[in-house]
Amino acid sequence: MAEVAPVSRVLTQAMLHAYADASGDHNPIHIDEAFAATTPMGGTIAHGMLVLSFISEMMAGAFGERWLASGSLDVRFRAPARPGDTVTARATAQEPRDGRLRYAVEVVNQTDEVLISGTAEVLSEA
Amino acid sequence: MPALADLPTGHTFDPIKFTVDAAKSRAYRAATGDPLSLYDDTNAVPPLAVAAFALGALMKVIELPDGTLHGNEALQAHAAVPVGATLTCVPTITRNATRAGTVFITFEFVVSHNDAPAITARSTVLFPARAS
Repeated sequence: MAEVAPVSRVLTQAMLHAYADASGDHNPIHIDEAFAATTPMGGTIAHGMLVLSFISEMMAGAFGERWLASGSLDVRFRAPARPGDTVTARATAQEPRDGRLRYAVEVVNQTDEVLISGTAEVLSEA
Repeated sequence: MPALADLPTGHTFDPIKFTVDAAKSRAYRAATGDPLSLYDDTNAVPPLAVAAFALGALMKVIELPDGTLHGNEALQAHAAVPVGATLTCVPTITRNATRAGTVFITFEFVVSHNDAPAITARSTVLFPARAS
């Protein structure tokens, strides 16, 4: 099994604005601090797809073009990531199945709270 | 623009076309801080960018309540998507249910390039029933 190196980022509100512009997701829970303060979240939270992108980056770093053409993810968003958080994507190898390498993947914050968890798979080398 | 909660399970949207040009791909990679040279070397778009752009395209034709949260995401890449590709996204609502005052909507997307699936995805979003 290939080693999959973790990916870490420090989230900022500027990143959330940049991601909103790049993706077209301008949900105010991510970018409007006054609105977000009135919600149960109590403040802005990162787009789930932004935080998930760190898992995809980690897998692309390990598997390159194979990830682009055969990668898969199946995850649950368990807790919000907030500006100021340091988030880390990491992977643990599982038993391969049906010709695919399998990893348990997660994103945790600086207190090791699990924000995203699930599985990632990629085609085994021929 | 239809309210999302009014659309039934099984509703399939008209195909949505969008193009992932170099500027969009660069902006996505800059926003996520992705430093990999892989995408320059292969002229490919990150697969998660394709899924994010498909969701963004869908949000232009439906109304998601402010404060909508993302619950689950599944994605399968079938082929690398080249920069400049014009893609066709066909979303279907596969679940529209209310439980304990929360609306759960699941979309399944088929994103095709040159008439072949490039990315398939399943996204579940949730929001308070009163927000719908």
